[in-house]
Parts: sequence; structure tokens; C-alpha cells
Amino acid sequence: MAAESHNDMQCNEFDALLSDAIDKMLTGPKAEAFLAHGKTCAVCGPLLAEAEIGKHWLEQLVEVEPPAMLMHNILAATVGIDTARMRGAATVPVRASWFERMAEWGRMVVSPVANVARQPRFAMSFGMAFFSLSISLSLAGVKLSDVRHADLRPSAIKRTYYETSGRVVKYYENIRFVYEIESRVREFKRATTPAEPAPQKKDNPKNDNTSGQPDEKQQRNYSQGERQVMLAGLSDNPPVVEFANLATLRRIS
Amino acid sequence: MEDAQIAALLVRRCVAGDAVAWEEIVQRYNRRIYNICYRFAGSADDAQDLTQEVFIKMYRTLKTYDVERGAFMTWVTTITRNLLVDHFRKTKQDRMTESLDGTASEHEDAMPLSERIPDLAPTPDTRAQSQQVGEVVQRALTKLSPDLREAVILRDLHDMDYRDIATVLKVPEGTVKSRINRGRAELARLLQRTYKQVM
Repeated sequence: MAAESHNDMQCNEFDALLSDAIDKMLTGPKAEAFLAHGKTCAVCGPLLAEAEIGKHWLEQLVEVEPPAMLMHNILAATVGIDTARMRGAATVPVRASWFERMAEWGRMVVSPVANVARQPRFAMSFGMAFFSLSISLSLAGVKLSDVRHADLRPSAIKRTYYETSGRVVKYYENIRFVYEIESRVREFKRATTPAEPAPQKKDNPKNDNTSGQPDEKQQRNYSQGERQVMLAGLSDNPPVVEFANLATLRRIS
Repeated sequence: MEDAQIAALLVRRCVAGDAVAWEEIVQRYNRRIYNICYRFAGSADDAQDLTQEVFIKMYRTLKTYDVERGAFMTWVTTITRNLLVDHFRKTKQDRMTESLDGTASEHEDAMPLSERIPDLAPTPDTRAQSQQVGEVVQRALTKLSPDLREAVILRDLHDMDYRDIATVLKVPEGTVKSRINRGRAELARLLQRTYKQVM
């Protein structure tokens, strides 16, 4: 086709001008030469006819309407806009259920508080409070994992209160009982044990006080152990004992 | 204010973070992009998905748009065309088994195209007829090679000038003209052949 020539126009020239001819942009001698070539060339003539028919078919195609939700979907996929206005443009507005309305109301109430709580200083305070509470609970032996739904019923709380108060009273009573037993035993011992003779007073006490304290005070110190048993008291002039023999000594001891 | 200026202004606002500007861009161009996708893919579902993909890509690369380098519409069409070509390559295997006598994808229970050709005769309901003609032509259009199809769609369905089409397709203007003419002729042959088979 490219090399053929009819009426001073070659097929490649015809091909280049075909679009302009179909668009009705060709005028004057160029248009005449183009038409003349189309009439005589067995390749270019049918090409012109088919191109015109094809263009005519394509003109039958009308613009299609995009889906109603397309724009909404695009905005949701790009900037995440999911506004009521966009929804309203695409669909009939749906009446919100009571649960949705309650949730919306809850959000309106909670969100200002949540916004304040999200500030760093408040968050720090909440964190510290939580930490203190958890420490206190763990020291008190409370395990959150042990808390069940059943434990939070009023009857269960009441029962737990009575059980706890019962345990505390029993513990206290037990301590009191033990103390009473001990004091009775002590009294009984005191009553059954005979009174010991008081130590003899020294006639001529030798001043061997090396502590630097007065004599009365020193004696008081000695007598502080009221219940201590005095094993022996030696006089300043002990009697001379003559040991008869070793057997006698052994017998005495 | 011209379309190009309005588009440039919208892009600037959008890049600056104005969500309303982006909404306006979507509103202005979604119809046109959807139509290009629909005519190329031949399926409403595919066209919807592809249009969304085009806008997502556009949103991500909006900063790269340079007003000096061309009209916004040309830039948008280039993005669309590139995505369509990618889509065509991905789904090439699916279409290899199809034929012109196969049923249209939009209507699974519809008659084959060749059996529907006689319906082109004038009927009382001209609107229904027009719709049927549209379906037949659309079906034939999807049978064109992608090179010819995209050139024909941009020229005959979206009235783009040859220079802009050349920019979008990244080929010389002469090649664009040649593809458009061959595309039109091929379409006519396809429809004529089907028509003759029925007759």
C-alpha cells in the first residue's frame, strides 16, 4: 500500500490524511486528490468506507452512568471520607436504630471526657492511681482473676461480707481465749508454788562495791529478779569445815 | 476561568491538604474515567474497580503532577490508560477463550451476540433498541486489540485531540491517527461479519 500511487497521491499519504478527511478537515486540492485516490485504489477505498462505518457505529455508544456509590467508595478509599452528605447523595437516608442513637449519645457524652483524659498530665495521674490501686489490691491478697461474675451479685457480696466479718471475730476470739488460758495457768502456778524465805540481812557488810553506786541501789538491782531463786548466801566468816575424807565429801555433794 | 486553570487550582489545594478540593476533583472526573474504563474493560464491575484504582493512584501521586508538562485531564487519562493496560495484561488469559459468539459478561443469560444482531431492526421501543445496539458495539469494541481500542475510545468516545492522545499513549501523532483509522475499520469489519453470518 505504501508504495502504490494513484492520481498523484500515494497510499501512505492517503493513510495520513484519512483521519482529517473523516473529521471533515480536508479542503481544496488536497481533498480532491484524496477522494480521487480513494476511488481508484483497491486498498484505500474500502479502508475509507470501513473507517467511516466504524466511526458511525461508535457514535451509537452513549455515555454510561457511573454507579451511585462510586464517588462515595472512591472518597472512602482515598481520604476515608464517609460523610452523611455523600451517603445522602447516593442512598436514601436510613433511620438510625435506638441502639445506634444511644451509642451516638454515649459518644457525645464520653468523648469530651476522653479527650481531657488523653492529655499527658491526666494520663499520668490515672496511671499512678491505677498503679497504687493494683499494689494495694495485691497486698490485700485480692486477685482480679478470682473475681467472677457470680461474686458481684448483691447476695454474693452480702455473703462474702458476713463470711469475712465472721473470720475476723473468730480470729479475735481465738487470741482472747489463748490469753485467758495462759493467764489462768500463770495464776494457778503462782497459787501452787510455796513462798520462798526472804534472804538474811547481812550484819556487817563489807564494802566491796566496785560499781560506784550506792549500796541500796545496788541491792535493788540484785533484787530486781523477784522470782529468781537465790541459790546461796555466804557470810563473811564462813565456818571452817573439816573434810574427813573424800568419801564423806562425795556423799555430801 | 478555564478548565485547566480550575484543575491546577484544585490540585494545589488538594496537595495542601484540602479534602474538599479532592472531593471536587473526584466529582469532576469520576464520570469520564468510569466511562473510559467501562468502554475498555466492557464490564461495569471491572470499570468500577478500575476507576477506584485510578483515583487511589491519582491521590497518591498528585504531588508529582506538573502543570507545565500538560493538562490535568491528559495526566489523569495517562494514569487511567496505564492501569487499563496492566489490567488487560493480567486478564489476558481469561479473554483468550472468549469469542464474539459468547454471551455478554454483564448478562449471563443473554443470547449470543450473533443471535442478537437481527434485533437491530427498527422496533417500537427505540430506547431499548439503542441500548441493544450499544451492547453489540461494546461487545465488538472489546474484541479490538488494546492498541487500537484505546486510541478509538479516546478519540471517538472522549473527543481528545490527536496530540493529547499521542501524549497519553506515548506514540507519535501519525501512529495515533493510523491506529484510530485501523480501529474504526476493524470494528466495522467485525460488526459486518457478524451481521452477514446472521443474514
